[in-house]
Amino acid sequence: MNHSQTLVTYVRNIAELNFLAENHNPQVKIELILGTSLLSRFFDNSEHELIELLRKARQMNFSVTLEWDVLNQEDRFLKTIQLIEKLPMHDFFAIRVQDPGAVSFIKEKYPWLKIHLILENGNHNLIGLKKWSEFLGPQLDRLVLSNELSKELLADYSKALSIPIEILTFGRILLFYSPRKLLSPVEKKAVHDQTIEAFGTSEESPHSGFPLIENLHGTFMFNVKDLYLLDQLQALNEMGIHFLRVDLRFDDSFNKFSKTILELFAGTITEPEMSLRQNNPRPLIKGFYNINKSDVLFAKLKNKRTQRLDDFYIGEIVDVERDQQLALLVKSTHWDLSQLPEVKMITPEGKEKILQFTWVKSSLGESVKSVEQNDLVLVPYVNGVTVKTQVYLNPKT
Amino acid sequence: MSHWTPELLSPAGSLEKLKVAVLYGADAVYLGGQKFGLRQASDNFTYEELAEGVEFAHSRGVLVYVVLNSFLHDKDLLELPEFLTLLVDLKIDAVIVSDLGVIETVLSLTDLVVHLSTQASCLNIESAKLWQQMGVKRIVLGREVTIQEARKIKEATRLEIEMFVHGSMCMSFSGNCVISNYTQGRDSNRGGCAHSCRFEYSLDFKNEDSMENKKAYFMSSKDLEGIRLLPEFIEAGIDSLKVEGRNKSHHYAGTISKVYSEALGHYKKHGHFLSDDMLNWESELRKVSHRDYTTGSLDVYAGVDSIYNQRVDEDNEYVVSGIVLEACVGKHLLVDVKSAFMPGDILEVMPFKTPIENLSVTFLESLSGVSLPKSKPGSVVKIPYILGAEKFNIIRKKA
Ligand code: SF4
Repeated sequence: MNHSQTLVTYVRNIAELNFLAENHNPQVKIELILGTSLLSRFFDNSEHELIELLRKARQMNFSVTLEWDVLNQEDRFLKTIQLIEKLPMHDFFAIRVQDPGAVSFIKEKYPWLKIHLILENGNHNLIGLKKWSEFLGPQLDRLVLSNELSKELLADYSKALSIPIEILTFGRILLFYSPRKLLSPVEKKAVHDQTIEAFGTSEESPHSGFPLIENLHGTFMFNVKDLYLLDQLQALNEMGIHFLRVDLRFDDSFNKFSKTILELFAGTITEPEMSLRQNNPRPLIKGFYNINKSDVLFAKLKNKRTQRLDDFYIGEIVDVERDQQLALLVKSTHWDLSQLPEVKMITPEGKEKILQFTWVKSSLGESVKSVEQNDLVLVPYVNGVTVKTQVYLNPKT
Repeated sequence: MSHWTPELLSPAGSLEKLKVAVLYGADAVYLGGQKFGLRQASDNFTYEELAEGVEFAHSRGVLVYVVLNSFLHDKDLLELPEFLTLLVDLKIDAVIVSDLGVIETVLSLTDLVVHLSTQASCLNIESAKLWQQMGVKRIVLGREVTIQEARKIKEATRLEIEMFVHGSMCMSFSGNCVISNYTQGRDSNRGGCAHSCRFEYSLDFKNEDSMENKKAYFMSSKDLEGIRLLPEFIEAGIDSLKVEGRNKSHHYAGTISKVYSEALGHYKKHGHFLSDDMLNWESELRKVSHRDYTTGSLDVYAGVDSIYNQRVDEDNEYVVSGIVLEACVGKHLLVDVKSAFMPGDILEVMPFKTPIENLSVTFLESLSGVSLPKSKPGSVVKIPYILGAEKFNIIRKKA
């Protein structure tokens, strides 16, 4: 463990706080995230409990940040603000926010409070990250980046940005956040604000056992595998990523793993993976850390369709009657037929046919001299031409 | 006296659907280019189709917005300026964006108007204020926001506000679902959503001392239908009402545009929605494929009754038989066949502005006049003319 790195972790109660105070090596930098049920997705502390924890943590000289990561519609947002206004905000080192509304509120009302900006959804480009930094100026203390960024991108961003970066290095991967309560209706209990936990498995998905939580804020689904990057501390340090978050809030993880994590960060053990792998309820993965190819489909889409060459484009064959005629739907805005043209036809398979139209008729069988966009005309049958064949004026004529 | 009504913004999943939406009454359409949008399944527009679509819409006074609402990566942003130049040349009316890097790129290189996509989940006044400072002119609010909250956002910011009035809904906060990214290796915020929320799940509930198992389509949302809430939208001054569904059929694009534009047209003329047609409009909305309707969070935050706890059912009450390519007055209609029909069938023609008409298929011929026993999808056929039918009318049949 390099001592320029900081372990960022959640503390939910006095017992956890005491445990950290008693077991942590003073050389290891620890930053605690505190929260309360109204502000945070997964804290269930009351406001009073939060203040108590904050007081104790400060007495113990921990650096403490406040988590405000819920997304709130206007009416709920106003209630959240009322709570924020009651809290001793000066005692927090920083506030962690995701909702741009929360960002805007803190920027305006608490310009002295450092912001740890959670950009874990999207924000996969440097231009955007720089704009956020510019917008928040010196108030921005840290960017919390997405676990979908590969190590190459993390290294690039760390180099290009003057703002410190934080990433999750161990814990559940959140997949889905809905404000609607989705578990209690199935459990057939009245919808309420108590926390319900479940695991979901679908025959339509190759994966099973998605952890699910319903609470005051709605419903959350997590991945069937948890993130593990704790074997990458050295590499992350070399990239300049010094804030490493560990999330021990679920599955009794605090009790099972906090000691091991503290030892890892203190450098007294180097490889906690075996112990974590054996005791974690789910398999561990590196996610997209090594490579992110989830946009393969996106890349494939490019140029998938045949491009029209519009200067010469006439339209598309929409019907073929063997040995009789073709029906041509005119797509160009105007087509003068005083001279019967030579045309190039390109079939969906890419075969080209160059020929002269000997006649062009309306659906009533009358000769036509000019047509407009979206008119349908009949032209002579051409062997091998099928529906969706594109028709162009032959550029050489 | 004409009463103010919001813009009706319809989806245009392809050039043909754009024409359908425009002709059936949309005030504006939104569409995607070959890249940068979120709908990989829709027949996204080539540049030339875009040019044709913009010309078609603009010549009828209809606005065109182009979606660039993927969360773009650095390498995509390198390709964006070239596309933006094309959009500027085509004089499109706005771009719909969700990512700050894209907003920054658009505003630094062009004077295109930027609308914030619902993908950015803008939910409150403070959030709207932030995006306003970033340069957006209109906000497409998250579907979790009520009309009354939207009104407050509008009043506090004077920004243009757009809300969804109809269509499918994501169960998650938009932009906050990455199920497909981890389970299918497809980025749902870049068009790769595998609709895992529509699956049936077996749920093991963690109780004090036991596990209880239940099966449910617990995270699938019903579809939004806001027609009954049009007075509230108008009263709140919501600028634009958006219909979801770039991937949906011609029938959908036409029906929804027709119904909502007729309803808004009624209000424009009379200043109220007390019309015998309301039941008719609702009945038409039930004829397009949907998963049971809900008002979502438009009125109060979406509750238990907004969950669609059943398999997504593709059974449609109506199927599209074809699109009229030519109406030769008094003689015949030429129809681009979308699904088979036969002589003797009773079809329904959907005129743009007037009520649906029944059409009896007394003859069915090829273009050269050969009688056909059945129409073949992908061909063009002649059927009898019916008064009022026009080019691009949808013809449908009860399934
Ligand atoms: S899986 Fe469902 S909730 Fe998630 S992005 Fe897709 S439609 Fe939305």
